[in-house]
Amino acid sequence: MLLRVEKGSATPISRQLADQIAALFTAGKLKAGDRLPSVRELARELAVNQNTILRVYEKLASEGVVEMRQGQGTFVAELSRAGRRRAHCDKLADEFRSLVRQALSLGLSKRELQELLSSALAELDDEAVSPLTESERV
Amino acid sequence: MSAIEVHAVTKSFRKSRVLDGVSFRVEPGKTFAFLGRNGAGKTTLIKMLLGLLKRDDGSLKVLGLDPEVAPYELRDRVGYLAEDQTMYGWMRVDEIVRFIAPFYSRWDHDLALKYLREFELPLATKIKHLSKGQNVRLGLVLALAHRPELVILDDPALGLDPIMRKQFNRDLVTHLQGAGATVFYSSHLLYEVEPVADEVAILHRGRIVRQAHPETLRADVKQLVIEARMAPLVPRDLILDARPDGADVALTVTSAPRVIGMLAAEGITSRVVDLNLDDIFEAYVSGRQFEPTTPTPELAPV
Repeated sequence: MLLRVEKGSATPISRQLADQIAALFTAGKLKAGDRLPSVRELARELAVNQNTILRVYEKLASEGVVEMRQGQGTFVAELSRAGRRRAHCDKLADEFRSLVRQALSLGLSKRELQELLSSALAELDDEAVSPLTESERV
Repeated sequence: MSAIEVHAVTKSFRKSRVLDGVSFRVEPGKTFAFLGRNGAGKTTLIKMLLGLLKRDDGSLKVLGLDPEVAPYELRDRVGYLAEDQTMYGWMRVDEIVRFIAPFYSRWDHDLALKYLREFELPLATKIKHLSKGQNVRLGLVLALAHRPELVILDDPALGLDPIMRKQFNRDLVTHLQGAGATVFYSSHLLYEVEPVADEVAILHRGRIVRQAHPETLRADVKQLVIEARMAPLVPRDLILDARPDGADVALTVTSAPRVIGMLAAEGITSRVVDLNLDDIFEAYVSGRQFEPTTPTPELAPV
């Protein structure tokens, strides 16, 4: 499992790691039942406080991404369809939030943002209705 | 019992007051990072913790002992790595290990050899021929081989390159935190401290201006960008730093969630910027106050 700690980032280290593990899972690089490194191993490898790694695993466990089994270690959880959907939704919601912040800082109004989203959705609808027009438009 | 308890400690050298009522405590098993600019008084306080300097006032307990009363008993139980540790350059690595050992009642020679191996230190090399990084690691071996309950390190990362600093952090996580030791170390490199510290304290102008878990600190201190005329709504004592930016002002505040809530209650939306630890440190030690009434002076042509 390849993880990276970005120093001097505005994102706290536990968040960085939790996000990266969740992303590996979403991308299918971690599969249900896979065993994650022990807290001690990962702490050593990343040179990060064991308590921080423990917090990351506990956070992921509370979100249902991993399962901490007493005396055995931490494993990627078997997620139901609903759980998987929720994990994707959470991830998307995060990205939306950061996009919205970015847009607001650029001076866009909430109304303009809503319009952008609507037009993006409308474009998708058009593509879905007539997928062949894609080549015509290009 | 706390591993370290410092209460209202003051110290002056001639007329300059270096420590002005410093108070904090370090709980057993925690890694505590002591931060401050160069000259903030970190080394002065560390020397007091070891009984190498006398305080003017206040109280101080290390492992339940007053360092001024029982310095030798204390130093037998504490591992210490001095800033810019100078060792006898003409001694070889194995010689200094044998030289230091008799000073400690609980010296574990097998452990010393194990660390020397793990740290890949050449036994037959003279100390003056070691690299800076090897020097720090040798200092660590000497500080750790008597299995101290508490380890005090004075700016151990000073002069190490990024690779060695990461290796040092790894040593700290593996050999100290892994063994349950309490670690007190000073540094001025916040981003190096963040991955390993359970708690950070910022020493500034002779006082501890903030003590918190790094992630608590990040959640609490944020930069808010609001219209400058709204700035007086923010309590002054929560503002660490203020930077005017045209009609706006960027305020770095503590208790950020509360301030955001207060502004929201007034119908003011603020743009919230997450800060890294260096930004937060800078706000505490060199923040500028907001001057609401001073109009922007016209620059005279030069």
